[in-house]
Order: sequence, then C-alpha cells, then structure tokens
Amino acid sequence: MAEEKKPRREAPDPNSAKVKLGNIAADAYTQAQLAKERGEKIGWCSSNFPVEIPETLGLKVCYPENQAAAIAARGAGQRLCEISEADGYSNDICAYARISLAYAKIKEAPEQDVPMPDFLLCCNNICNCMIKWYENLSKELDIPMILIDIPFNPDYEVSPAQIAYVREQFWAAIHQLEELTGKKWDDENFKKVKERSGRTSRAWLDATSCACYTPSPFNGFDLLNHMAVMVTARGKDEAVDAMETLLKEYKENHEKGVSTFRGEEKYRIMFEGIACWPWLRATATGLKDRGINMVTTIYADAFGFIYDDFDGMCAAYSKVPNAINLELSRDKRIKLCKENHVEGLLVHTNRSCKLWSGFMAEMSRQIGAACGIPVVSFDGDQADPRNFSEAQYNTRVQGLMEIMEQKKEAAR
Amino acid sequence: MNLKVILDEFSKVAQNPKQQLDNYLGAGKKVILVAPVYTPEEIVHSMDLVPMGAWGADMQLQEAKTYFPTFICSIVQSILELGIKGSYKGVSAIIIPSLCDSLKTLGQNWKYAVPDIPFIPMTYPQNRKPDFGIAFTKAGYQRVIDDLEKVTGETFSDEKLIASLAVYNEHNQVMRELAELLAVHGEVSAVQRSDIFKSAYFMRKEEHTLLVKKLIAALKENEPKKGRIRVLTSGILADNPDFLSYLDVYNMQIVADDVAAESRQYQQDAVDGETGLDRLAKKFADMNNCSVLYDAKKERIATIVSKAKATKAQAVIVILTKFCDPEEFDYPLIKKACEEANILSTLIEVDRQMVNYEQARTILETVQTILSKQSPQ
Repeated sequence: MAEEKKPRREAPDPNSAKVKLGNIAADAYTQAQLAKERGEKIGWCSSNFPVEIPETLGLKVCYPENQAAAIAARGAGQRLCEISEADGYSNDICAYARISLAYAKIKEAPEQDVPMPDFLLCCNNICNCMIKWYENLSKELDIPMILIDIPFNPDYEVSPAQIAYVREQFWAAIHQLEELTGKKWDDENFKKVKERSGRTSRAWLDATSCACYTPSPFNGFDLLNHMAVMVTARGKDEAVDAMETLLKEYKENHEKGVSTFRGEEKYRIMFEGIACWPWLRATATGLKDRGINMVTTIYADAFGFIYDDFDGMCAAYSKVPNAINLELSRDKRIKLCKENHVEGLLVHTNRSCKLWSGFMAEMSRQIGAACGIPVVSFDGDQADPRNFSEAQYNTRVQGLMEIMEQKKEAAR
Repeated sequence: MNLKVILDEFSKVAQNPKQQLDNYLGAGKKVILVAPVYTPEEIVHSMDLVPMGAWGADMQLQEAKTYFPTFICSIVQSILELGIKGSYKGVSAIIIPSLCDSLKTLGQNWKYAVPDIPFIPMTYPQNRKPDFGIAFTKAGYQRVIDDLEKVTGETFSDEKLIASLAVYNEHNQVMRELAELLAVHGEVSAVQRSDIFKSAYFMRKEEHTLLVKKLIAALKENEPKKGRIRVLTSGILADNPDFLSYLDVYNMQIVADDVAAESRQYQQDAVDGETGLDRLAKKFADMNNCSVLYDAKKERIATIVSKAKATKAQAVIVILTKFCDPEEFDYPLIKKACEEANILSTLIEVDRQMVNYEQARTILETVQTILSKQSPQ
C-alpha cells in the first residue's frame, strides 16, 4: 500500500501581508535587543500607550502584553503564572501581569524573550490593573515608571477637561523621556509619524470593513494576530506597507470569491473579548468546524487612530475600548454587527479582565436586542489555560449555532 | 458618659444603617450615597445633603449576578444587589468614583440595574499631584456639583464648602486621635473598634465628631487594658463581626490599621488653597498610602512597616477582599517588606458572601500561638 503523502506546504510569499505583518512583530523584539546591545535605553510599554511618543523620539520599546500573549500561545502561560503565584500573587490577578512579573523575576523564557527594560511606559486607558502591574515592575526592577493616566470616561464625548489633562501628561511624559534618554522631540518627525499612523489606520479600518462582503474575504481570527502591529507599530513605514498589502489582498479575495476562512461560511458572528491565547486552536476550530466565521471584533474599530493634531491624538487615546462608557461601547459594536451582517455574538468572559467583563452582560443584552441576534458567553482567560473548558466552549458555540440556524430556517 | 454606653451608641448606628437612612429621610433630609473609596463627601455635606457610605453588606448575591461575572469583588457586587433590592429606596443619587476597574463597571451597571437612583460619576486623576492633575480633580468635582444641583435642586456655594471642610478636618483630627488612643486601650474590642469607624459613614460628621469626642474623654478616664497581642490590620474593609470577634477570642488588639474604610480615610485634611474647591482638590492631590492611588515608589508598603514599628505591632494581618486587584498586587510586596523587617505577616481572604470564618480562625489561632510566646510590648 502506497504511503499517503502529506501535501507539501508551499513557502509563504515574502510579499504577502501575513509575512510582512509577522516580520514587523518579530522585528520589534530584535530592534529592542539591538538597541540594548548598543547601550541605548529601552522601555517596556503598555499596549495602548501613545506609540507616537516613543516612535517620534526614536526609542525602542517592547510590549509585555504581546510577550505574555506569545508565551501563553506557546504553552508556557501556566508555568509563568505559577512563578508569580509562588511569590504571593493571587491567581485572580490578570494572567498577562502574572506572566510579566514572573518574567521580570526569572528574565528568561524560551517561548518569547525580551530585553530587560531601563524604563516603563504605562497608560491605563485599558485598565487600572495596568498601573498596579507597572508599579510592581518599577519597584522590583528599580527603574523609573512614566504613567499617562487616561481615565475611564463615564460620558459619551471626551470632555475638554479630559483632553487638557491628557495633553499635559503627554508633554510631561515627553520631557521625562527626553531627560531620561537624551533623545529629543521633533515636531517634524511627529508629523511624519502621525501621517504614517493615519495611513496604517485607514488601511486597517478598510481591510476589516471588507467583512461586509458575504462571504467575508478573511477569517476573523486573522485580526487577532494582525492587531499586534496596529497596537505597537502603526507609526512605522513597514506597517503602512503591510496594512495596505492586507487591504489589497482582502479586496482581491473578495473579487475572486475566496477567503482565508477555510470551508463554507455558514454563519457570521462577532467575537467579543481578548483571544484565549492558550486555547487559540481549540477556539478557532470550534467555530470553523461548524462553518462559523468570526467576521469582526471590536479591534476592527479600536485601532483606527486617525486624527488631525495633538489634541485629536489625546481624544483618540481617550476612546479606546476599555476607556469608554457602556453606551459608546455598545454603539460601536452595534455598528460593526450591522455593517458586517453579524448573526450572533460570542462573548469571552475573560477572567483576566475585570473591566472588559464587568459590564459585558448588560451591554451584550443591549447589543443582542438592538441587532436581533443571539448572544452566548463562555468562560475563559487570555493567558491562564486553567480558566477555560473546551467542553463548555463547544456546548455554548453549538447552542449559538443552533439558534442562528433556527433563525435562518424561520427566515426561509 | 459611660464608656460602654458610648460604644453601644456607635454599634447601634453601625449595625442599623437602614434606620439611620429612614431617620434622615423622615426628617426631610435628602440623602446621597457615596461609594468607596474616596468620594467628595464634603461637597454633598456643604449642599445640606446627607452623605451616607455605600460599602455593600454581608449577603448572598443573587440579582447582581445578572450584571457582574463572579470575579468582581463582593463589595461592588453587594452595592448593586442592595440597589436592585430596594434597600436604598428614598436616596436622591449615588456618587461612584472610578478609582478601580470594578468601580468603573459598577457605575455602568448601576444605570440599568437601579434606574430610579441617578448615578453621578466622580472621575479622579491618578497623576493627581501636578497642577494639571489638580485641575482635573476640580473639573471632576464641578461635574459632581452640577449633577447634584440638577438632581436635588440644591445649590452649591464655595463659602458653605469652606465651612464643611472645617467640619471634616475636625472629624479627621478626632479620628486620628482616637486611633492613637485605641492603640493603648485594649479594653475596646475589635468589633467595637470597627463600629466606631463604620458608624462615621452613616452619621453627619459633626454628630459623629461629638460622639467620638465623648469616647476620647471616656477612654482617657479609663484604666487601659494591657497585655493583648498587638496587631496592625490592612485591607479595604474589615467589618464582619464574626470575623472580628475571633481577634478578640485570640486576645488580639488592633493597635493601628491600614484599612481603606478606616484610617486611610482620615490621613489628609483640606487646608491649602484659595477657594474651598481648591482645598478639596489639593487634599486629594496630597493623599497617599492607598492601593487605589498611583504610587510608583510603593511608599504605602514602607508606611505599613513603619506604622507597625511605631505602634509596636507584633503582626500585620492583611485582610484581603477577594478579587480586589489593587490589594492583591500590593500583598506580595507587603509580605516581603514585613519579612525583611522581621514582622510576622499573615493573609486572610474575605468576601462579603462568606458565612464561615473557620479558616480565618485557624490562621489567627496560629498567629496567637506564635506570638503568645513573645512578651507583650
């Protein structure tokens, strides 16, 4: 009997968006390491810290959240979480923080090493947990911490008082970094960064909005991987090129009637929350096997940082997902659901993220009602594998699928 | 006035907040709920409204579960539960600050879960010390004032605020003096001590000040009970009588606390500034030593150790409210700092849904066994 041969996987096209985007993410770590070796001061930076600041100053930074996600996706989340827990950190604390604090202690993880920082850039527009995490890093590593506090906005619009407060902090942070690193702020350079960031953002928004086509030209899980570039590198030339390539590919996919989603797209859902990195394959497969394409997430909207001036930048950073009230959060999602013909909402109740999950129940009820779509949730975690049950996930997804099917039947 | 009579007075108020609420409403007062951790009570007071603390209650959660996932702290969840169940009926509004992630979500859920009691947000800056931080605090206070005026029909005046600041400063001062006296007078039990602090949330401050002054006078005349194990308590909240009674069972005296609902409230007075609002904003800017306030140098940790040393505490008991991020991040550093200072520390996890404190009892018994071998200071 002839041995069955596996089809040979073709080498990825180096000019594809996937390769370009992957290279940017990997290159960030390399560049930081090289800068460190040159004797430059490098930083660790929270994900929604205004990337324009280090980019304009020419500073190399690494992102502990990305590192933690990579470590978790490569199977070491629990190992690092347990190191922090042995030091007294509760296992109720955000798993990204536990992984990062463990890494700061052991300074080595083959799953994703990063150079050790000389300063910390923290922004709490994603959560106040970030402040506590960075305070502890600052204390344990004995390095300075710069905080840009962008408060949770209880109102729909950003107030002039908040913009003034954020603006002053941006300049204070810039001056602190100039003093700390010897680098100088340059308005012309900022202008270029702003333009590149705008181009990258426009390409991202246009690319993600290609989900309005049926079938969608992409599998929404792609967005979870590509968003890292939007968070960390959107002010770079390479990011502009990669995102514009992504947009071009999605448009071509649509024209050819193909998609990065493998199989027939029977149902279209919105996925709510951060990915379960330790269980990425299980969560993706649970959808794919049922013909469910996750066509959109809030990330599709969240990283479109398009603004005209410095104050516009302050306002943009005040409107990231975890910094806005229920009504604005809800309306952004309703828009995404409607524009992308979403038939169901799958909510990740993420044990690591109290802020994201804390008013999700009420918000998803309202989204479900406004869009006339079913909503189900499952328990999980962005990086601690112990907080996820594959059986529960599959049961919930199956339930969602059955309701979506019933609705389709009724409409026929 | 007899010491026991005064202490009973505090207990009566602390254990019956609903009665206090009904009394104020019955007297024609408008009541505003003030949620943890720091809320500008002084503004409420100055507008002739009664601020009443809302730190939740020990209870089983039912209705709140339709809004919150399980991993949100039970203080926040029980505030919502009480709101949904009508325990706050009659109050004019609730002010909820956004100093932790769970509090941010409480405000958002409140709008839909308790629509008959308006939600007034208080957005504090974490970079609170520079001028731009103080300006933002003031803008937050102005927002609270505008909402209070709209909801209650009362008007704000800076002159009245200055008068209220004096009332609050005096209250702070007597509470600090009392805390020092309680380090000496072991005859006041842990439950009684908690009731003194807790009752402050349910009385107008001038009334509470008067009662505390009477207590101080009575204590000064009383022969201090000595020889108990001296402990410092730390945490967000430590008011469950069943739990606290075990401190008494094991002969422990709270000689100092770093509890958010207790002494952390009284660290800072409002004194510097041209207007009343300036002074209040400067007060917040000057506040320190709290897990929900930005503290890059972690000065709170060193302060706990120095407070323990100054009060000759033999142990630091960290009473950790489950799912409280800010406290959970600080705990490993407290533990480490106590070890370095050769002070015994222990962790007791608590929750507003707990009905059984046997695990806490075992921990306290162990602490007693270790410390009873040391001679009291």
